[in-house]
Amino acid sequence: MSVVFDAVMLLLLIATAITVARARDLVAAVVKFGLYSLVLCLVWQHRGAPDVAITEAAVGAGVTSVLFLLTIAKTARSERR
Amino acid sequence: MRVFALALVLVVAATMVIGIAGLPPHGDPDGPVHTHVGARYLEQGVAETGLRNLVTAVLLVYRGFDTFLEVVVIFTALVAVLALPSATRQPPQSRDESAAASRRDTDDAVPVSPVVFLVVRLLAPFIAVFALASLYRGHVTPGGGFQSAAIIGAMMIALGLVFGREHAARLVPHGAKAWLQALGPLVFAVVALVGWRLTGAFLGFPADEAAHALREALVVILEVAIAVGGAVILAQLFMALDAPS
Amino acid sequence: MIGGALLESAAVALVVIGVAFLLAGTIGLVRFPDVYTRAHAASKCDSAGAGSVLLGLALHDGFAFGDLKLVLLAILVVVSGPTTAHALARAAMRSGRRPWPRDEGGPA
Repeated sequence: MSVVFDAVMLLLLIATAITVARARDLVAAVVKFGLYSLVLCLVWQHRGAPDVAITEAAVGAGVTSVLFLLTIAKTARSERR
Repeated sequence: MRVFALALVLVVAATMVIGIAGLPPHGDPDGPVHTHVGARYLEQGVAETGLRNLVTAVLLVYRGFDTFLEVVVIFTALVAVLALPSATRQPPQSRDESAAASRRDTDDAVPVSPVVFLVVRLLAPFIAVFALASLYRGHVTPGGGFQSAAIIGAMMIALGLVFGREHAARLVPHGAKAWLQALGPLVFAVVALVGWRLTGAFLGFPADEAAHALREALVVILEVAIAVGGAVILAQLFMALDAPS
Repeated sequence: MIGGALLESAAVALVVIGVAFLLAGTIGLVRFPDVYTRAHAASKCDSAGAGSVLLGLALHDGFAFGDLKLVLLAILVVVSGPTTAHALARAAMRSGRRPWPRDEGGPA
C-alpha cells in the first residue's frame, strides 16, 4: 500500500512537473507549480519528514506562488515565442 | 536541434537510470546512509550535542556551517531583490506597452472582498499561534526556526494581501527594518563567536552536562532569530515586489 | 459495548458521506462547463467532503483528546474552502468571465 502511494505520488509529481514546463501561460504555470508543491508536500510527509512538509506547504505552495504572481504582474504574462 | 535535444535527454536519462540502479534499496540497513555518519548521529547524537531533537542537532551542531550559509543565502536573496531598481525606485514614465499594462493590473486596486478580509483576519491569529507552537516545541517535535519563519512569513503576506501595502508595511517597524532583515545572519554570527569563545571551535556548542542551560539558551536564541529574520525577509520580498512600479 | 459500536458506525457513515461528496465534487470539477459551476463543485470537496472525512476520522476508535486536532482541521477546511471558492468566483466575475448561459445551450 505504501509503495503504491509512493508510486502514484511520484508519477503525479512527474506529470505536474511536465505540465509546469509545458505551460505557455505563466499564471497557469504558477498554479500548476503550486499543485506540484502540494504533491511534494504529501511525499515529504509520507517519507517521515514533517518538518520539510510544513515548509514545502508554506513556502512552496504559498509564498513562492504569490511572489511569482507579483513578478508576472510586473513583467509579461506569457512566454516569448 | 531537435535531434540534439533528444540525444541529450536520452543520455541524461540513461545516466540517471544507471545511477539510480546503483543505489542501495530504500531503508537498507547496510546502505551507506545508515553506516557512515547517520549511524553515529542516531547513536551518539543526543549524548554528543545534548539536544533532544536530532533534526535540530544535525541542523545546528553537526551541520552548523550549512545552516549558517543557508540563512545567509536567504538574506542574499532579499538583498538581490531590493537591489532591483523597480523594487525601490519609481520609474519616471511608462517606457512601453507592457509596463503600462502591468501598472493597470496592479494599481487599479480591486477592493478586497469582505469575506476574504474577515476570514484572513480570523485565521491569522491561529496561524501565528501554530507558528509559535512549532517554534516553541521545535526541540522535541517536528518544527523549529525555518518552519516557523515560513508560516509567519506566509501569514504576513496574507495580511499584506488583504490589508493593502500601506498597512502591511507597518507590520515591520521602520527603524528596526534593516536589523530585522539581517537578524538571522547577525545572530548566527554572534552565537558562532560565543561558541568559539566557549569551546574553541567556531559555531561550537558546549556539550557537557554542566552547560545545559547555556546550550539551550543559545539554541533558542538562534531558532528565534531564524524564525523572526526569515519571516521578515519573506514579508519584505513580498513588499518589494508588490511596490508600485 | 453499544456506545462504541454506535460511535464507530457514525464514524464510518461520516467517512462514506465525505468520500461520496469528494467523488461528486471531482466529477463536477471535470464535467461542469464554466468557472462558476466548477468552483461550486470543487468547494463541495473541501467543505462537505474533507470536513466529513475529518470528523469521521476523529470519531473513529473513540473520541480522544488528540482528535481535537482533526476537529480543528475540519473547522479550518470548512472556513477556508468556501472562502477560496468565493475569491475565485469573484475574481472570475471581475475579470469579465460570463456565466454559462444554460438556455442558449452552450458557452457564449
